[in-house]
Amino acid sequence: MISQTLQKVDHAALKANQLFIISLNILAFIFDQPWLAAFVALVMGLGSAFKVPGFLPVYKNILKPRGWVKPDVLDDNPEPHRFAQFLGFVFMTAGSVSLFLGATVLGWSLVWLVVALAALNAFGGFCVGCAVYYWLSRFQLPGFSKQPPAGTFPGMKPKAGVGA
Amino acid sequence: MNADILLRSALAIAIIIVGIFGYWLLNQRLLVRAKSNIFTLFSQLPNKPVIVYFTTPDCAPCKTVQRPALSRVSQLLGDSLQVIEIDATQRPDLARQWGVMSVPTTFLLDARGEARYVNNGVTRAEKLMEQLESLSDYSI
Repeated sequence: MISQTLQKVDHAALKANQLFIISLNILAFIFDQPWLAAFVALVMGLGSAFKVPGFLPVYKNILKPRGWVKPDVLDDNPEPHRFAQFLGFVFMTAGSVSLFLGATVLGWSLVWLVVALAALNAFGGFCVGCAVYYWLSRFQLPGFSKQPPAGTFPGMKPKAGVGA
Repeated sequence: MNADILLRSALAIAIIIVGIFGYWLLNQRLLVRAKSNIFTLFSQLPNKPVIVYFTTPDCAPCKTVQRPALSRVSQLLGDSLQVIEIDATQRPDLARQWGVMSVPTTFLLDARGEARYVNNGVTRAEKLMEQLESLSDYSI
């Protein structure tokens, strides 16, 4: 294992982001509102651009100060999570565009795919986008330089303390 | 319009149920795995319910929620329950064998040493008590 410096990553912020993505996308599907799916795509895109979870302001300004969600800071690489959000943004954008073009089955399938992957991450602790990132880093692709924290399966949420 | 929303709601619920079923299947796999690893912890059957609790020193929710919850359950049940705490950083072999992917994770074993429940993440005392009560060979 290559030695690397891990950073503090608040997994509660990531989880809150995933829960917003899941909730809003399900609402978009139930009420048949492609614009809501497009809004989620936009937020994820902005998050990717600013290298933060898209719904971070909600977590930072509302959920965390009121104690509704407690921080869960772990030693981890933030890059794979950013990449995962970017992948989600790509799928959500493709889904939204498909919906606006009338390809509803394809569009909602892509939206549900993002919901499923976000749910797997939020409830199962497995980040598929992160696993893809680590898989690409094995091929030494430019921009994919990070290795999973020691003792952590690629894509799984790190065990607290293992990377310290 | 309303019928459409109802239909979509039903479809969304169906998709979510399928997802939950998939997650349940994953947990069942973990329980099967735990059953085959019971003798990594005991040389003989415990003859009382056991909670196997995987944690790490820096796990904040373990300290603030999970450990107090386990202490409460232990106090309530006294000697009729055994709690085994495993530091996953000290025993990564056990964490791997038991399929632990995050902390805290708690396994509830019945008196025969069979893993009956697995809780990924923080589990409150009330839920642990419910799970212990539901063990057929155990009455509180």
